[in-house]
Amino acid sequence: MIKYIFKRIFYSFLTLIILVALTFFMMRLLPGDPFIGQKAIPETTLKALNEKYGLDKPMWQQLLIYFGNVFRGDLGISIHYNRPVNDIIRQAFPYSFDLGIRALIFATVMGILLGIIAAVKRGTHWDTLSMFLAIIGVSVPGFIVGSLLQYFFALKLTQWTGIAFFPNTGWNGFAAKILPSFALSLSSLATVSRLMRTSMMDVLSQDYIKTAKSKGLSQKAIVWKHAVRNAIMPVITVLGPISAALLTGAFVVENIFAIPGMGKFFVYSIQTQDHTMISGTTLFYGAFLIIANLLVDLAYGFIDPRVKLSEVKE
Amino acid sequence: MDSKIKHIDKSQFERIGLDKSDIKTVSGQNTSYWKDAFRRLSMNKAAIAALVIIIIITLFSIFVPAFSPYTISEQHLGHTYAPLGFRDPTDGHMHLFGTDSLGRDIFTRVWYGGRISLFISFSAVLINFIIGIIYGGISGYAGGVVDNIMMRIIEIINGIPYLIIVILLMMVLPAGTMTMVIAYATVGWTGMARLVRGQIMSLKEQDYVVAAKVMGARPARIITKHLLPNTLSVVIVNITLSIPSAIFTEAFLSYIGLGVPVPLASWGTLANEGSRVFQMYPSQLIIPAICISLTMLSFNLLGDGLRDALDPRLRK
Amino acid sequence: MNKILEVRDLHVTFHTYAGQVKAVRGVSFDLYEGEILAIVGESGSGKSVTAQTIMKLNPMPPTQIERGKILLGDKDIVKASEKEMMAIRGKDISMIFQDPMTSLNPTMTIGRQLTEAIKHHKKLSKDEAQKEAIRLLKLVRIPNPESRIFQYPHEFSGGMRQRVMIAMALSCQPKLLIADEPTTALDVTIQAQIIDILKEIREKTGTSIIIITHDLGVVANMADRVAVMYGGKIVETGSVDDIFYRPAHPYTKALLESLPKTDTDKNTRLVSIEGTPPDLLNPPVGCPFAGRCKYTMKICKTQMPPHFEPSKDHKSACWLLHEDCPYSDFKNPDGGGENDE
Repeated sequence: MIKYIFKRIFYSFLTLIILVALTFFMMRLLPGDPFIGQKAIPETTLKALNEKYGLDKPMWQQLLIYFGNVFRGDLGISIHYNRPVNDIIRQAFPYSFDLGIRALIFATVMGILLGIIAAVKRGTHWDTLSMFLAIIGVSVPGFIVGSLLQYFFALKLTQWTGIAFFPNTGWNGFAAKILPSFALSLSSLATVSRLMRTSMMDVLSQDYIKTAKSKGLSQKAIVWKHAVRNAIMPVITVLGPISAALLTGAFVVENIFAIPGMGKFFVYSIQTQDHTMISGTTLFYGAFLIIANLLVDLAYGFIDPRVKLSEVKE
Repeated sequence: MDSKIKHIDKSQFERIGLDKSDIKTVSGQNTSYWKDAFRRLSMNKAAIAALVIIIIITLFSIFVPAFSPYTISEQHLGHTYAPLGFRDPTDGHMHLFGTDSLGRDIFTRVWYGGRISLFISFSAVLINFIIGIIYGGISGYAGGVVDNIMMRIIEIINGIPYLIIVILLMMVLPAGTMTMVIAYATVGWTGMARLVRGQIMSLKEQDYVVAAKVMGARPARIITKHLLPNTLSVVIVNITLSIPSAIFTEAFLSYIGLGVPVPLASWGTLANEGSRVFQMYPSQLIIPAICISLTMLSFNLLGDGLRDALDPRLRK
Repeated sequence: MNKILEVRDLHVTFHTYAGQVKAVRGVSFDLYEGEILAIVGESGSGKSVTAQTIMKLNPMPPTQIERGKILLGDKDIVKASEKEMMAIRGKDISMIFQDPMTSLNPTMTIGRQLTEAIKHHKKLSKDEAQKEAIRLLKLVRIPNPESRIFQYPHEFSGGMRQRVMIAMALSCQPKLLIADEPTTALDVTIQAQIIDILKEIREKTGTSIIIITHDLGVVANMADRVAVMYGGKIVETGSVDDIFYRPAHPYTKALLESLPKTDTDKNTRLVSIEGTPPDLLNPPVGCPFAGRCKYTMKICKTQMPPHFEPSKDHKSACWLLHEDCPYSDFKNPDGGGENDE
């Protein structure tokens, strides 16, 4: 158990180091100066920057300096905004986190429920309907869902009824949060429900379900006490990838609904070739997800009594 | 039943003994795996409809740009944002899907975009397939330390969200269609590799493979003749289900501004352009959006259908 | 002796898209108080389906009870609602399954799985139920039950898990215990222990047991009566002695001949039954064994034989026993001479 925890932490750390190195080399390969892009800036500033980040030193020293900066938490200064990237993240991340958490909770809870219903009512209209919704969900990209929701529920609904149920943009008040959270969660919700259905059907065909039935338990007790707990395990393992999908999905959803979160900054930094901003946010995202994955892995080990932790994922 | 029954004619009790020819007919019929799978697939209406849609979209993408009276970058500034079915008064041709901000024919552009999007997705998935099957095959077949190292590498690659790597690559490489393919293929193969490895790991313990090994078959032969054919069904399903993911990645990257450069167009770049004027001219986004979604939906439905059809455990 | 279970003309069909599989085709038998009945047959003979139908455990659809009665006392299980079945399952009838590795919920402690049925049927408090669970584990001779109830199934060996299954099945003193191949998945030494426990339980509690098996060793060891199933039908029933020493059906005889014997010369090949069981999608109109039987006559292929009674309480469905049949291979009660020892 302890060995497993350490192993997972070690791999997460290794992944993080590789990500930092990767980002460093990518930035070096970018056209233009790694820290200023293709902008013209005064000679003295450039010199100061070069000295600060050690750009006049050999590559390996630069890499070490970069590592040093990153692990001290210094992600550099955004060229476009001329502000430390850390500041921007500190300001913007809470919005993204709020949006992401809402979407994550909604997607997992609704997805699990939908999956359970589909599996228990297998072959009925309930099953067909929920799986139809799920396949639509995985097939329509978030930016399309977002745009359509905004168009119909924020714009048209307001025009038709004269009442603004949902604001077009922004992140103020509960009503403003509904459409973006839903748009972001839909594809994850669909993924979870499909997975949960398969997993649930698999569990329901297990012998121990027959045992439970032979004890005289009701269908309800069998589903909730015996099946759901076991069926949820595979869903837990995809929480990591789902967080990643929500995070990247937020890039576009934040753009559509003009939410001042990190996704919006990230996309904008790509369009403006703001190199430090890109590398800084990339590292932040990467680290965030690596830690999220680590937590999911550890949680899985604690939840499932069968698995000796060293065997997880083998 | 009681044993007092009516008299039975003596001739009925003539002994015929064991009829060897009977023995075979007694058992159930054996249907071949692929034939059976095909029959099951053809019974799945949604999957067949999806297949038809995929064929239609592919054919349109191939032929519409070639036969259209317009090119993708031909501008008609006289009628920008023309509505659906607008007939051009100057040349009498119809803009079936209207025109965009520069008066370009959306019908032509959508199918041209389809070409690019489908080309990127198909090539990326093909590359993933090749890398995945080689990497997974070697890893699974070799086992032991080699497998351990190869799997750790995959684990690390998977530890970083793939879209972030793709975005970084897209920024470094020159913009273009092949860049998209390469960027996606750099990270997309891990799923296939894991799948192939898992299959091979479980198959190589099977008796018939052990038998081939004992008889002295070389590893390459064991992999190609015994392991791969058995891995084929899961691989086919995986390929079908990775295409929508590739289409999504292309659309997503184009949407955030990392798509193919002008004058090229893909569904993603069309959606990106459309989204800027969406609230005024919804059809500008809705048309490429429908193409993207319908194609992804069709591949997902087909993939699901294939999985159900090819899964021998469902065979009864 | 009181009859506790009466099965009459039971027909069970699975609806698959390939067609209707007629898994059970007119099975009738009785079970008396304190009796151990073995249902013997090869895979696909319908023995497990019959057993599970008694508790209506098969999902319906695709399973359908087409015809017949299953009388538990004066209650017809075929007609019972799901709610009535919930009261019967685990209380009047309980069941243990083939594979103890998969029959227990892996994420629930043994204690919780044991007390579940007790709490459900007896309405006991948690503490009382727990005491009862410990008592049951002692009954099936599991050491340290007080600490064992807090453990998960993966911490138990196969034999121990099967004991837990038995304890669970006994938790509400059922009238009938159905054991569906309880020893098949276990090591030979453990098999004997499980059989001993089952016999002991019958002695202590007077529970009737139906044991489903293809292992004639198990049958000889514990059964009072035997029903031999083939192709969805019971082809022969009788006491253990009838079946082993005076088999009156070519299938039973062939089964016995296929067993290795201690006095067999090591160079003698084991006898196997040639051919495969009938396809129950299109079951034969005549005797299901006709295609593999060396005594096959014309009538065997066209008409299902009725049950003849070569001796008291010994029934066999074979045309060779018809009074007009000129052959006497099975008519003489000691007909299966080769097995007479």
